[in-house]
Amino acid sequence: MSLFLIAALPFLGAVFPALLIRAGRNACSWSAGLTTALALVGVLLHAPAVMRGEVIQARADWLPGLGLNANFFMDGLGMLFAILILGIGLLIIIYARNYLSREDPMGNFYAYLLLFQGAMVGIVLSDNILLLVIFWELTSLSSFLLIGYWRHLPEGRQGARMALAVTGAGGLALIGGVLLLGHIAGSYDLTVILQQKDVVQESPLYLTALILILLGCFTKSAQFPFHFWLPHAMAAPTPVSAYLHSATMVKAGLFLMARLWPVLAGTPEWFYIVATAGLITMVLGAVIALFKDDLKALLAFSTVSHLGLITMLLGFGTTAAATAAVFHIINHATFKAALFMTAGIVDHEAHTRDIKRLGGLRKLMPVTFLLATLAALSMAGIPPLNGFLSKEMMLEEASHTYWLDNHWLIPVMVTIGALFSAAYSFRYVVHTFLGPVRDDYPHRPHDPGAGMWLSPAILVALVVAIGLFPQAIAGPLVHTVADAVTGQQLDHHKLKLWHGVTPALYMSAIAVIGGAILLAMHRPMDRAWIAAPRPEAKAIFDRLVGALTALCRGVTDRLHDGALGRYAAIFLAVMLVLGGYAYATGTTIGATRSGMPVTLLPLIGWICLIGSTICVVWFHRNRLLTLVLIGVVGLVVSLSFNYFSAPDLALTQLSVEVVTIILMLLALNFMPKTTPAESSGGRKLRDAVLSVGGGLGVGGLIYALLRGDSAFPSISAFHLENSYKGGGGDNVVNVILVDFRGFDTFGEIIVLGIAAVVIYAITEAVMQTGVRAKLLNRVPDQPVAGDAHPMMMVVVTRVMMPVALMVAAYIFFRGHNQPGGGFIAGLIAAIAIIMQYMASGYGWATERQRYPYHAIIGSGVLVAAATGMGAWLNDLPFLTSAFGYIYPPGLEKFEWATAALFDLGVFLAVVGAVLLALDSLSRYAWKPHTDTPYPMDINPARDEALAEEGRKA
Amino acid sequence: MEQIFDILAAIFLVIGGFFGFVGSFGLLKLGDPMSRLHAPTKATTLGVGGVLIASLLHSFGAEGYVSVHELLITLFLFLTAPITALFIAKAHIHRHGDDYELPPTGGDASWAVLSDSEEEPVKTD
Repeated sequence: MSLFLIAALPFLGAVFPALLIRAGRNACSWSAGLTTALALVGVLLHAPAVMRGEVIQARADWLPGLGLNANFFMDGLGMLFAILILGIGLLIIIYARNYLSREDPMGNFYAYLLLFQGAMVGIVLSDNILLLVIFWELTSLSSFLLIGYWRHLPEGRQGARMALAVTGAGGLALIGGVLLLGHIAGSYDLTVILQQKDVVQESPLYLTALILILLGCFTKSAQFPFHFWLPHAMAAPTPVSAYLHSATMVKAGLFLMARLWPVLAGTPEWFYIVATAGLITMVLGAVIALFKDDLKALLAFSTVSHLGLITMLLGFGTTAAATAAVFHIINHATFKAALFMTAGIVDHEAHTRDIKRLGGLRKLMPVTFLLATLAALSMAGIPPLNGFLSKEMMLEEASHTYWLDNHWLIPVMVTIGALFSAAYSFRYVVHTFLGPVRDDYPHRPHDPGAGMWLSPAILVALVVAIGLFPQAIAGPLVHTVADAVTGQQLDHHKLKLWHGVTPALYMSAIAVIGGAILLAMHRPMDRAWIAAPRPEAKAIFDRLVGALTALCRGVTDRLHDGALGRYAAIFLAVMLVLGGYAYATGTTIGATRSGMPVTLLPLIGWICLIGSTICVVWFHRNRLLTLVLIGVVGLVVSLSFNYFSAPDLALTQLSVEVVTIILMLLALNFMPKTTPAESSGGRKLRDAVLSVGGGLGVGGLIYALLRGDSAFPSISAFHLENSYKGGGGDNVVNVILVDFRGFDTFGEIIVLGIAAVVIYAITEAVMQTGVRAKLLNRVPDQPVAGDAHPMMMVVVTRVMMPVALMVAAYIFFRGHNQPGGGFIAGLIAAIAIIMQYMASGYGWATERQRYPYHAIIGSGVLVAAATGMGAWLNDLPFLTSAFGYIYPPGLEKFEWATAALFDLGVFLAVVGAVLLALDSLSRYAWKPHTDTPYPMDINPARDEALAEEGRKA
Repeated sequence: MEQIFDILAAIFLVIGGFFGFVGSFGLLKLGDPMSRLHAPTKATTLGVGGVLIASLLHSFGAEGYVSVHELLITLFLFLTAPITALFIAKAHIHRHGDDYELPPTGGDASWAVLSDSEEEPVKTD
C-alpha cells in the first residue's frame, strides 16, 4: 500500500463515522475500526522490507518553491510509531464503543479520533520536515477537539484550551526551528538533513535551531516546565486519555527528538538541555503522581514521569541509551494504554476515580484487577514484565553518566525517580483493588463485558510476552528502530531478562523495596503533602493568560474601540507617516508622459465631482442628501472611467453604484434622518488634517503613476499581446479576469459568496435575539406614506424585467470581446430582480423566488470549479482555458470558449451573493401581517371585481 | 440622398436642443414644485428623444446601417421618466401635502400617498 494512501486513509475515513452515525453506533464504530485496520495492514505489509533495513518512500511535489513537498518515507522508527498509533488506535476504537454512553455523540468522537490519528501517522511518515510541522499542528488542533469532547464540562474546555495554548505555542517555536534547520542543511527533506550532522552542529545557528525545536518537543511531550497541561487534559473521556497520552500525542515530541537524534544529539548543549529536562520531569512527575488521588491524574503524572525518562535517555546521546529509549517507548505504550483503560473501566463501573473512595475491588472486578495489576507491576519495573527490562537498561545507562563531572547525581536521581515510580504503581493496585470490600461506592462495580476488557487484555498479554521472551518478540523490532534512530548499523546485544548482578540491579532493588516502604508510609506523607504549600500550575497559567489577555485587550481597545472615526484616523495617520517616509527616502521617476489637454466636458465632470464631494462634507448630517450626493460622485467616477477608455470599469462601477445606493437606502430606513453633532472642534481639526493629508497623498500618488512609469516594466504589454492569441478574446479586461488571472477570480467569487453567507448568518443570529422584538415594535419617526407599491411602478418593473435580463445576457455574451462579462451581467440581473422586490414588496417577490440564493452562489462556484477542472482531462493545469471557432453554415463565425463557462460561474455567484445580501438586510424590516396577496396596494380593477362580486351576492 | 438625412438629423437635433433648453429654463423659472415637475419631463422625453432620432438617422444615412440601440434607449426613457416624475410628486405630496389644499380626487378614496397607512397594509421592502 502506498504511503500516500496510508497517511490519507484516516483522514478519508473520518468522514464515515460522522455520516454513518445515522445508521447506528455499531456501523459508526465499525467504519472507524475498519479504516484503522486497513491502514494498519498497509503498514504491516511493508514491515518485512523495513525489517530488512529498507526505507519505503513515496514522493510528490506540492509546493516545491517553498520546499514543501508531500514526501513520505518509512524506516524502522516511522514504522514502529505507525504500528503503535494504528494498533493502539484500533484497540481504543473497540474500547470506546463500549465506554461512550448513549448521550455522547459517537460520530463526532470517531471522526475527531481518526483526524487525530491521520495527523499522527502523517507526522511519523513525513519525509519533508515542513510537511511534518503541518501534521504537527493538525495534531494540536484535533487533540483540542478530543480533549474538549465533553464540551459541557468546564474542566474539559479549560483543559483543551490549555493543551492547545501550550502545544500550539510550542508548534510556533518548532516552525522557526525547522526553518532554521532546513536553512542550515540546505534541504527540507529529512533524509537529506539526517546526513548533515557535521554541517548542522558546526553551524552558528545550531543552538537557536536546537532550542526552538526542543521547545516544540518539550511542550508536546509535557516536559518540565511545560508538564502542567497534560494532567488537565485528563478531563477528556478515558479512551482519549489512553490514546493521546500513551501512544500518540505526547510521544510526538519524543518521536521528533528521536527522528532528529542523528543530527542534533551528541553535543554538550543537547545533553544538558535534554537530559536535564528529562531528569527533572521524571523525578517531579513521579513524586507528584504518588500524591494524586484521581486515578487518571495519577496515571497522567506517571506518564509525565515516563516521558521524562525517555527524554533523558535520548538526551544521553549514546547509542545504547537511544536503544533503551526505543524499547521503553514500546513498553510504556503497552502498559500505560492498558492502565488508562483499566482506570476507565473502574470509573465506568464504580462511577468514581477517587482512590480514597475505592478499594477492595479485587473481589468485585477480578478480571480488571488482574489486568491492572500486571500492567502496574510492569510500570513499577517488576521482573519478568517488560517494564523491568527497559527500566533496567535505563538504570544501566544512567549509572555511568556524568553530569558536570558529578558521578553521583544522575544515578541517585534516577533511583529516586524509580522509587517513586514503584510507589505510585503499587498504590494504584493496592489502594484501588486490595483491602476490604466497601459498601459506599457511588455505584456497585462489577467486571464489564468483554468489549471493554478485551483491548487492555491484548496489551497486557503483550506486556507479559515481551517480558518473558524479549528477544524473540521485540528484539528485531527494537534493533531495526534503534538503527533507524541512530542512523548507524549498531552492534546489538540481545535483549534478555537476566543481566547478572550489576549496579542497575541494585538500583532496581532499592527502588522496588523503597517504593513498598513509601507506600506503607503514604498516609502521614499524604497529610504533609496536602498541608505543604506548592505552586499550582493551572493557577499560574491562568494568571499568565489573564495578564496577556488584559494586555492585548488594553492595546486593542485603545486602537480599535469600535469608533470608526478613530480607526480610520489611526489608519490614515500610519499611512501618512509611512508614505511621508517613503517619499523622503525614496526616489521618484519624473513625469515621462505628457498630460492630456483639459477640455470642457471633463472639466464640468470634475467640477461636479469636487462640488458634490464638498457638499457631502458640508451636508453630512442630512443622511438622505448625503446619499444622493454620493450617487453623483459615483456617476461621475463611472463617466471618468469611460472617458479614460475603461468601459468595463465604467459599467461595473455603474452597476455597483446602483446596488450600493439601494443597500444604503435599506440601512437608512433604520436610522435617524440626521446625524447628531458629536465631534468637538479639536477632533474636527484632527480629522480635517488627516483626511486632507490622506486625500492629497493618494491623489499625488495616482497623479505620479499617471504621468510617469513604474519602477518595473508594466505587465500590461504582455496582456495586450496575448489576450487574443492565448485567451481568444479581444476584451483584455475580461480575458485577464477569466483567463490570465482566473485563479484570482475563482478565489474572489468564493470570498464574495462567503461574505454574502456571513451577512445572512449575522442576520439570522441577530434575528434570534431581542433585536427582533425591537424591530417589530419600531415606530417610524416620520409618518409612513401610503401606497408603498404604486401600480405604475409595479407594471413598469415587470415590463422591464425581461428587458433587463436580456441586457444582462447581451452584456454577458459579448463580454469576451467587448466591454461586459459575467460580473457586470450578474449585477444587472441582480438589479432586475431587486426592482421586483422594491416595486412589489418583499413578501410578494420572495414567494416567487424558487431557487434559494445560497444554492445559486454554490452552483456558481461549482460551475467555475468544474470548468477549471475540465482542463485536467486534457492534462493541463487547473483553469487552463480552451477556445475555438465554429463556422455554422449560413451564419457568421462563432467562437466558443471554456472561459464563457467560467464566466457563467462568476455570473451566478455574483447574482446569488448580491441578492442574498440584500435579502438578508431586507429581513430586518419585515413585519408579520404586512404581506398582501396583491402586488399593488391600490388596484382599481380589483375594486371593480370586488364590487361586481358584491352585486352578484 | 445623404444630404437629406443630414438635414433631417440637423432638424431633430435642433428640436431636441430646443426642448432641452425649455426643460432647463422651466426648471429654473417655474415657481412651485408641482409645476416645476413638468419641465424636466419635457427635456427627457422630447429633448433626448430628438437627439436619439437624429442619431438614428445619422447612422442610417452616413454609416449605412440601422441602429436599434436608440430605440431601446427611447423605450427605457419612456418607461422611466413618468415613474421618476410620479415618485417626485408623491414625495412632494407626502412631505408638503398639508401646506396647501389638494384638489379632490373625484372618488371615494383620498390621495394614495395620504391614505391611512394603518388601514392599508403597509409593505416594506
